[in-house]
Amino acid sequence: MLTVSRRRLGQMALALPLASPAAGARRANAANTVRIGAIYPLSGNAGSAGQALQKAIEVGVDIVNNAHPDLAALPLGPTAGLPNLGGAKVQVVFADQQGNPSVAQSDALRLITQDRVNALVGCYQSSCTLTASAVAERYGIPFVAGESSAPNLTERGFKWFFRTTPIGSDFGKAYGEFLQGLAKQGQQVRSVAIVNENTDYGSSTGDAIAAGLKQHGLSLALRIPYNANSTDLSAEVLQLKQAGPDTVIFVSYTSDSIQYVKTMHTLGYKPPVVIGDDSGFSDPAFVKAVGDLAQGAINRSSFDPGNKGSTSWVVNEMYKKATGRALDDTSARGLNGFLVLCDAINRAGSTEPAKIQAALRATNLNADQIMIGYNGVKFGPNGQNELASTLLVQLRGTDWDVVWPQAKATAKVELPFKG
Amino acid sequence: MILPQVIVSGLLLGAVYALFSSGLTLIWGMMNVVNFAHGDFVMLAMYIAFFCWTGLHAGPAMSVPLAALGLFLLGVVVYFGLIKGVMRGPMLAQILSTFGLALLIRYSAFWAFSANFVTLPSDLVGGTIVLGGLRIPASRLMAGVVALLLTLGMHLMLTRTMLGSRMLAVAEDRQAAMLVGIRPDPMQALAWGLGAASTGIAGALIALFYYISPTVGESLVLIAFVVVCLGGFGSVPGALIAGLLIGVIESLSAYWAGAVYQDAVVYALFLAVLWIRPQGLMGSL
Amino acid sequence: MKRIVPALALIGVAVVVWPLLVDNVYLQRVGALVLLMAISASAWNIIGGFAGQVSVGHAIFFGAGAYSSLVVFTRLGWPPIAGVPLGVAVSLALSVLVGVPTFRLRGHYFSMATIAAAELIRILVATWPLLGAAVGLMGPPTPRSLADLSFTSPLPYYYLFLVVLLILLALTRWMQLSRMGYYLRAINAGDRAARSLGVPVLRYKLYALVFSAAFTSVAGSLYAIMIGFADPDSVLGILVSVKVVIMAAVGGAGTLFGPLIGSILLVPLEEATNAAFGGSGSGVTYVVYGAIIMLVARFEPGGLLDLARRARLFLARRVEAARRAA
Repeated sequence: MLTVSRRRLGQMALALPLASPAAGARRANAANTVRIGAIYPLSGNAGSAGQALQKAIEVGVDIVNNAHPDLAALPLGPTAGLPNLGGAKVQVVFADQQGNPSVAQSDALRLITQDRVNALVGCYQSSCTLTASAVAERYGIPFVAGESSAPNLTERGFKWFFRTTPIGSDFGKAYGEFLQGLAKQGQQVRSVAIVNENTDYGSSTGDAIAAGLKQHGLSLALRIPYNANSTDLSAEVLQLKQAGPDTVIFVSYTSDSIQYVKTMHTLGYKPPVVIGDDSGFSDPAFVKAVGDLAQGAINRSSFDPGNKGSTSWVVNEMYKKATGRALDDTSARGLNGFLVLCDAINRAGSTEPAKIQAALRATNLNADQIMIGYNGVKFGPNGQNELASTLLVQLRGTDWDVVWPQAKATAKVELPFKG
Repeated sequence: MILPQVIVSGLLLGAVYALFSSGLTLIWGMMNVVNFAHGDFVMLAMYIAFFCWTGLHAGPAMSVPLAALGLFLLGVVVYFGLIKGVMRGPMLAQILSTFGLALLIRYSAFWAFSANFVTLPSDLVGGTIVLGGLRIPASRLMAGVVALLLTLGMHLMLTRTMLGSRMLAVAEDRQAAMLVGIRPDPMQALAWGLGAASTGIAGALIALFYYISPTVGESLVLIAFVVVCLGGFGSVPGALIAGLLIGVIESLSAYWAGAVYQDAVVYALFLAVLWIRPQGLMGSL
Repeated sequence: MKRIVPALALIGVAVVVWPLLVDNVYLQRVGALVLLMAISASAWNIIGGFAGQVSVGHAIFFGAGAYSSLVVFTRLGWPPIAGVPLGVAVSLALSVLVGVPTFRLRGHYFSMATIAAAELIRILVATWPLLGAAVGLMGPPTPRSLADLSFTSPLPYYYLFLVVLLILLALTRWMQLSRMGYYLRAINAGDRAARSLGVPVLRYKLYALVFSAAFTSVAGSLYAIMIGFADPDSVLGILVSVKVVIMAAVGGAGTLFGPLIGSILLVPLEEATNAAFGGSGSGVTYVVYGAIIMLVARFEPGGLLDLARRARLFLARRVEAARRAA
């Protein structure tokens, strides 16, 4: 008795300033809601990406909790709530990791122990996913990473970590195959330059692409790592101009991709093939800012809205309605991860972590059951989605058309880059 | 033709550095306060330019004066509300207060304008001037010319006008200035206002060719510190020269050594200069 | 004095016991983070507070500690704690390298030079494959033995950090009372005055920096051990340097307990605002944080301990006056 009351006392005294606003509600709703924690960079330098992801997850909550007959292909589309849990609703608790791995870890701990979430998704930056998922692993809470592509995340032997997105080496392979295909059509693509921003994302993706190109017999003419915050990128573009590679692959964030396109235009430089590696090129701000100077640019993306009425088209329309802008690839991948998790919880028929984990392991979704252009979702022993894949799209007007792989293409690739 | 183009690009970049450092120099030189919120002042001016475009469809002819006016007022308010109280306190309190201000401005912008990147249409001040094979974007050229004019104007104001002499007198010795009948507060408030106003001009012009987001100031402020330090304590022409120098060095080192090292080269050079000349290039001890 | 000793003892017991009484791991973690920040800020306080040399580049030493711990793990397979001596050694070398050229600089120039040095090192580390370049280094994903100091509960970290903090505070107190403390106060008042008193200014500035750097490095190592990850931004970024300055200055720079007080107030504040408002994605966390440090600087430029001191003086005077009147 004494210990209990002392604990209570201590909690009352010390928990007060830190009590999360949801804490009061958490016991009451245990029966008919499923709580999922979502950790994203909602402020800080990556705030733009984090907020777009937050909106996408909110669309995901709408898809799961409400009946959407037009999304019949998705496992939880036509039904309201999770049918196997008696129609339980999903509730998402968001946390801001500020781009800081230590904060991400605190967030994960808080969501698991205070908000009692049943599973976690996140965290955009691979560094934050790394530290947050380590906490989830310790507590035995399933963690689904929808966007973080650093290869080492699934090399840690974790049992509670699942990743739906393709990773660096998949991208390298995609570019290699694509360029090899172009070469067969007689396009001169033998020498390639990689221009990558110099943080986690850019340098690890740059390495993976370089390795992928090598495997496909393409030569790396030049590699330019640079600082994404640079006020001026003329020197980089002039280096490219002098080396004159056939293909340039940009691994860039939003502001710097915009800068590159502007600077290339100013300095009158037009390489025959321009490829953007997702991130910056996929940001709706990119097409808005420099779409008219980037006609014919190729971009990696797993998401393509496709034809009117298709699953991805409907999801894109929902997102547009909520935010006024189109769903970008990163947010789409995050949303897909979230939906895969919800499907697993539903199949588990329980909020018990071990059952969710087993259901995630048993996940087997085909390409039509997801809202993104993967070949499906099926996790390998390390938790990596073995069916993850990517598309290459080309900018025409203000739309991106799928040009690779052949099986999913909606248009033929048109070269050279028009600028 | 590549190398001359690299140098020209470096000079244009340097002009931008000089432009957004000019206001910081004035404030720093006048009252020995480092404004950690300087980058966020630039950011606010960029948003003023952006809203001028979205709201009024007005270009720099409208946004530059408006940003100058807006930031002037902000500078005066910040002086009376914050700086006046910490100016003669410990240096730590100054760092703390302007850093707090920086966070406050940055995250208020976050809250008010959202985290999304925005840009002005690239053809607002469009076109590329081709001069004997060298390609110069008009917007950056304009920024460079304004940087020159602003520096010249500020220098003349400080050295040739009564107002400038009074401001310098207050900066030199507050007590002595009071003895000869100069009231220090209006002078220093004016210095803050003018410093912030020139920051406003800089921001509105940089917005023409750079992206705009709440955190943009963070990436600009460090280089501004280096420019001002290198130029020498409160030396207005020093900051111009330092800015141009750093621009060219960054451009050349990016071209020769690789873009990742361009900032490293600048910082290393800066430390070397301070070691040899602790007062900066044009400053006096 | 008679009343102070039991009060201190009471506070001491409370500090040791409270984490055992709250059955809340998140609060325990916040407690550990407070202590970790207090170690960094108290270490900074030696050069920045007592000696008055406002370094905004202490991330150099924090990063050296963090990277050393993780590099002995990734390259040699040793437990991260084994990297502590390496981190301290590297920090000592770096403090001489940074200190000798910059100690001649005065006021803001010194601060700016330390910022530049820290940024320079951050950029170089971000391109250095041995240290994981931009991607960073990871600790043991799952603990291999107790020596990895990888715990699920934050409690072991809390007590580990508490011990380190106590050692640091005891050493600082000892320094305060020794000749060095006297010299540093003279240096704080002004180089020229100190020199005229016969204080070997450069040498003692360097001693202070070395002392400060060593403990900052230990803090960095402890951070890396607890978080299990380090990359250029999170351990060498300018925010790391600025944060320790803020903690010390808000609490009271140049006082023994100032940095601790600053950490006790600001770290939970940051956590609480992030928990309450972070999820809304509005950035309110840092609006509040910024406003508070701005207000402290404006109205209590000497830090909060200064306020407490003045309050005590004020009360004592009132009591004295009341006694006289009676």
